[in-house]
Amino acid sequence: MRLLTQTFLLLKKDLLLELRRRESLMTMFFFGTLLLFVFHFSFDLVPDRVAEMAPALLWLAFLFTGTLGLAQLFEAERNNHCLEALLLSPMDRGALFLAKTAFNFILMFLVEIVVFPLFWILFNLRPWDVIPYLFLVTLVGTVGFCVLGTLLSAVTLKARARELLLPLVLFPLMIPVILGTIRCMETILRTGELGDALPWLRLLIGFDVIFLTVGVLIFDWVIEV
Amino acid sequence: MGAWGFVFLAYGIVWCAILIYWLTLKRRLRRAETELAQLRASQESQKNVQT
Amino acid sequence: MAEISKTSVKSKGYLGALALIGVLLGLYWGLLHAPPDAYQGEVQRIMYLHIPSILTAYLSFFLVFVGSCLYLWKREKRDDILAYSAAEIGVLFTALTIIEGSIWGKPTWGVWWTWDARLTLTAILLLIFAGYLMLRSLTEDENRAASAAAVLGIIGFLDIPLIHMSVYWWRTLHQPPSILRPDKAPWDNVHPAMLTALAINFVAFVLLYFYLLSRRFRLGEISEEIKARLLNRDH
Repeated sequence: MRLLTQTFLLLKKDLLLELRRRESLMTMFFFGTLLLFVFHFSFDLVPDRVAEMAPALLWLAFLFTGTLGLAQLFEAERNNHCLEALLLSPMDRGALFLAKTAFNFILMFLVEIVVFPLFWILFNLRPWDVIPYLFLVTLVGTVGFCVLGTLLSAVTLKARARELLLPLVLFPLMIPVILGTIRCMETILRTGELGDALPWLRLLIGFDVIFLTVGVLIFDWVIEV
Repeated sequence: MGAWGFVFLAYGIVWCAILIYWLTLKRRLRRAETELAQLRASQESQKNVQT
Repeated sequence: MAEISKTSVKSKGYLGALALIGVLLGLYWGLLHAPPDAYQGEVQRIMYLHIPSILTAYLSFFLVFVGSCLYLWKREKRDDILAYSAAEIGVLFTALTIIEGSIWGKPTWGVWWTWDARLTLTAILLLIFAGYLMLRSLTEDENRAASAAAVLGIIGFLDIPLIHMSVYWWRTLHQPPSILRPDKAPWDNVHPAMLTALAINFVAFVLLYFYLLSRRFRLGEISEEIKARLLNRDH
């Protein structure tokens, strides 16, 4: 499909750029780890409390780290009239949306895959066998974050105080993902299996599907010169 | 505060707020309409000068 | 153009008068005529404000959605003005809903605020409205502001049912709606005079809402024309 080919092209470009300079990835990674330390000092995480708060702390760390990545999402295009050039080309704008979302997702995935076990080890959390389930839930939530984040990153592109405005408009709309991921992870930790958490997981997947579709359809009007 | 106190507090705040908003709207409208009338008048006279 | 504005001014006058009559009737029915609730006492009368408020707040958001969709589709300025106006008035009614709910909550639950489903959802709605208005005022180019806000309006509206579901699943402490009970007929639960009071206040609020909306819309139209004329003059 043309849409997918174009998406891959654009994604490859962003990945190449990132691979060469690694600015976004490094800053996000360090910021995520730093937040874990800040949480440790702020919440005075004694062993029995950590298990309860783990999903929330972890997801908050990812949320703030991800917001950092979002602010830089269209940075490359802002210089040298790259954005205008992209828009003038016969690319489907839905492809631009998918590519940016995928790029952000890959960055976050790389950060999460390191920070997640790090968190588990640093705070001596016990159950190791549920980690695959927890990571799966995190990924589904991350998709939702990247989708909505990319959309709103583009929407706020030409606004003043963009670094403040983006979280301001993003976080209320992210509430289903925040609630869903954390409650889902808590349920998994409590029951040791996926069963009871399924309604939440379905909500998350629904969220992802809805806004992925909306994003692809609506991106024509989001990005304008 | 008695029960009626709460009721009057709620009703009071609500209707005051709506009243204030309505008055603010009126003021904004009046200013805008004056400005528009001035603009229209000056542009009409400019046209008359040109023709 | 002058003739159109004259007739619209007249019809707005009627709407305003009707709204005022509705509000006064609603006040009489709600504060004097309807009996106090068997359990909540007089405090229940706040519900005659609270329920219409929240419904008009949601109506507002729906209009933001409609205006946003139409604007992105047809690019006519009046749809954008509709969305902007509905958002501004929506913020007002949403904020009032929260205040009313809080004041009702104090004698009923003993606290000014709880994080139960309905209050939380209303607060979230307020945040989304506020974000919409902030996006508009912070985006410098007018046309881009309109498009950006329209996209945000659509995304926000589509997100609301999801936010609703997630918050409700998480919190269920707020009393179930006493009128809309699936097993009983609406009039079984509530004294008829109270239902009438609620109905009158609801109609009054809707009339008031549309009156304020029409005025705000007119302001938007005039601002647009001013901008257009200034633009013409400078070129």
